[in-house]
Amino acid sequence: MRLLVIEDETGIARFLKEGLEEEYFAVDIAFDGKSGLDLAMTNDYDLIMVDWMIPGISGIEVCKQIRKSGNSVPILFLTARDTLEDVVFGLDSGANDYIKKPFEFEELLARIRVQLRKTTQDGDAQTVGSLTINAVTHQVFCGSKEFTLTPKEFALLDYLVRNKDRPCSRSRIIEHVWDMHFYSDTSVIDVYINFLRKKLEQAGCGNLIQTIRGVGYIVRETRPGTQ
Amino acid sequence: MQRHAAGGKSLPAMSLRNRMAFYYTVATAFLMAVVFAAILLMVDRIVFMHFDEELRHEVAETLEDAHIKGQIFNGFDSFRGIDGTAEEVGEHKSLEKKKDLDSEFIQLVDSSGKVVRKSPNLSRNLLTFNSAYSGVRYFNSLIDSVQVRQVQVPLVNPNGIAEAYLIVAVPMKSAMIVLLDLQNIMLVSFPAIILILFILTRAIAGRSIRPIEEVIATAETMTQANLDQRIPLPRNHDELYRLSVTINALLDRLQDAFQREKQFTADASHELKTPLAVVKGTLDVLVRKPRESAHYEERIRYCLDELNRMARLIDQLLMLARYEDDTLNPNIAKIDIEASLQSVMSRLEPLTIEKLISIRMESTSSGTIAADPAMLEMMFENILSNAIKYSPAGSSIEIGIARRSALLVCTITDHGVGIPEEKLQNVFDRFYRVDESRSSSTGGFGLGLSIVRKLADLQHIGISVSSRENAGTIFEMTFPAA
Repeated sequence: MRLLVIEDETGIARFLKEGLEEEYFAVDIAFDGKSGLDLAMTNDYDLIMVDWMIPGISGIEVCKQIRKSGNSVPILFLTARDTLEDVVFGLDSGANDYIKKPFEFEELLARIRVQLRKTTQDGDAQTVGSLTINAVTHQVFCGSKEFTLTPKEFALLDYLVRNKDRPCSRSRIIEHVWDMHFYSDTSVIDVYINFLRKKLEQAGCGNLIQTIRGVGYIVRETRPGTQ
Repeated sequence: MQRHAAGGKSLPAMSLRNRMAFYYTVATAFLMAVVFAAILLMVDRIVFMHFDEELRHEVAETLEDAHIKGQIFNGFDSFRGIDGTAEEVGEHKSLEKKKDLDSEFIQLVDSSGKVVRKSPNLSRNLLTFNSAYSGVRYFNSLIDSVQVRQVQVPLVNPNGIAEAYLIVAVPMKSAMIVLLDLQNIMLVSFPAIILILFILTRAIAGRSIRPIEEVIATAETMTQANLDQRIPLPRNHDELYRLSVTINALLDRLQDAFQREKQFTADASHELKTPLAVVKGTLDVLVRKPRESAHYEERIRYCLDELNRMARLIDQLLMLARYEDDTLNPNIAKIDIEASLQSVMSRLEPLTIEKLISIRMESTSSGTIAADPAMLEMMFENILSNAIKYSPAGSSIEIGIARRSALLVCTITDHGVGIPEEKLQNVFDRFYRVDESRSSSTGGFGLGLSIVRKLADLQHIGISVSSRENAGTIFEMTFPAA
C-alpha cells in the first residue's frame, strides 16, 4: 500500500514516514501543496494524508483539486484546526476522514485501515484458499500454520491478496508497493515474487501466485486441473 | 428611546410610535381646547354686547319719547307711551311692536319697586326689579322662564335721588340657541378630532420610524455566526441613515476585532499543537519497536528541542497576554538610550559573532528618554535579534540616534532580505510571518514584533517600519523627551 503525506512540518512528516514504513506502507512525502498535488495527480496512491495549513496551495484546495480530477482516493485530513466548522469544512471539501493533531499513532493506523478496507470491501484479515494474511498483526498463516515474511515480501503479498482474482501489472505493483524513491526496473518484482513463491511452497500454499505472461501476476485460489 | 428609571416602571410600556402620536395629540388637544374656549368666550361676549347695545338704544328711544334728558324724572305721565295710553303721541307702529313677545319689554317702577307702567307684551308678567342696584345695570333674568337680557335705569329728581326706575328687557332665546349649538358642536367635535388626529399621527409616526424597525430586525438576527450582515441603508440621507451608517461602522469594527481574535486563537492553537503532535508522534513511533540506543538518543534530543521551542512560544504568548492588558502601568524612568542599547547588544553578542555581523552605533545627540527600562530593552532585543536573523552573514546593522525637533529618534537599519511592500503593514500583527512557510528554519513565531508594538504603545513610543526587498529594513522609534 502506497501512501502520500502532504505535510510541511518536518518533525511530523519524519515520524509519519518512519512509523508507516514500519507498518509495511510505502510512503511519499510532499512538503508543500503544489508538489503534493503534483504527486497525487501523477501517481496512483492508495491513500493521501493532507495537512490543512501548508505553504502554497492549502490542504483544502489540494483536496478539492484531487476530487475535481475525478480521483476518489481516500483522503485523511491531518490538522491542528479543531473547531466544529473546521471539521465540517474539511470533510465537505472532499476528505474521507479528519484527524486532529496531536493524535495517537495507533488511531491513525486504524483510521488508515478503515479507509483501505472501504476500497477493497474486506476486513483486516483476508484469505485466499488456505492462505490468511492479517494487515494489522502482520501475521501470515497457511491453514493454521504461521510463517514469516520480510516487510517488502509482506507488502507485496498483501497488495496481491487485496487485489485477488485481478491481474496486477508490474508497473501497478511498483506504484503501490514501492515508494517514489525506487526507480530501478520492475525486474525487482520478479525477484520478490520468487522469494514469496518459495516461502508459500514451504508453508504448503503453493501455486497461489500465478504469472500472466507479458502483464504481471495474479493471486487466485488454485483449482484442480489448472497448472 | 431612553426611559426614566423610575418612570419606566410605573408607565406601561409604550412603543415610540404610540408615544410620538400620544404626545403630539396631547399637545394639539390642549391647543384646540384653548382655541375653542376662546372662540366660545368671544362669541358669548359679542352676543351680550349686541344685546346691551339694543337695550341702550331702546332706553334712549323710550326716554326720548318721554322727553327726558339726563335721566331727570319728570313724572309718570310722560311714560304713557309704554302701556299704549299715549294716544296723542300716536306711535301705532311702536304700539304694535310692543304687543310682540319677541320684541323688547318695558316696565316702569317707582322708587319702592311698585310697577307703575309696563308694555302690553308683558301681559301678566313682570320684569325683575332689584332695588339694590343704584346705577345703570345690565343683567340676565327670566320672564316666564324665557331668558332675557335686561337693563335697569334709575330716573332721578334734580337732587340725584332715584324717583323711579325704567327697566327694559330683550329676549335672548334665538341667540342662546346659537350659542348652545356652537358649544355642543365644539364639545362633540373635540374628541372626534383628537381621535382622528391620534390615528393619523400614529400612522405617520409608524411610517417615519419604519427604518428603525428594520434596524431592530437586522440587529435581532445578528449573532457571532453572521456578523457580516449589515443594516440596509434608508433612501433618505436623514438621521436614521446616519444611525444605520454608524451601527454598520460599529459592526465593521466588531467583526474585525472578532475575526482577529478568532484568527489569533486559531494561530496560537495551531502553533502549540504542532510541536505537541511532533513530540507525541515521534515518541509514539519510537516506543512501538525496540531500537538502537543512538536512535533513541537522537529522537529524544529532537523531542527536547521541540519542547524548548514550545516553551519559548508559551513564554511569548504569556508576555503578549500580559501586555495586552492596557491598564498595565510601565515604570517610566529617565533612561540613557545608548546604555540601554549597549546592554542589549552585549546580550546578543553570541548571535552576531556566529553570523559575523557588526553593529555600529552613530549618535548625533545625547539621548535621555522617558521609558520603562525593562520594556525598552525587550523592544530593542526583539528588533535587533530580528535584524540579525534576516541579515546575511558578514553584513552590518546600523543604529542611529538623532534629535528631530523635540523628539529623539532611534533607527535600526539592517541589510537583510527586506519585507515586500504589501506585507509591511502586517509585520506587527500577531503570528504574522513575512515568509509564509511555518518551518522553524528561522525559529520565530511571528510574535516578536507584535510584542514590540504593544510595548511601544504602553510607553507612548512611536514606531514605524520601512523596507526595500533585498536591500534591508529600517525600524524607526520616536521617543518622547524625558
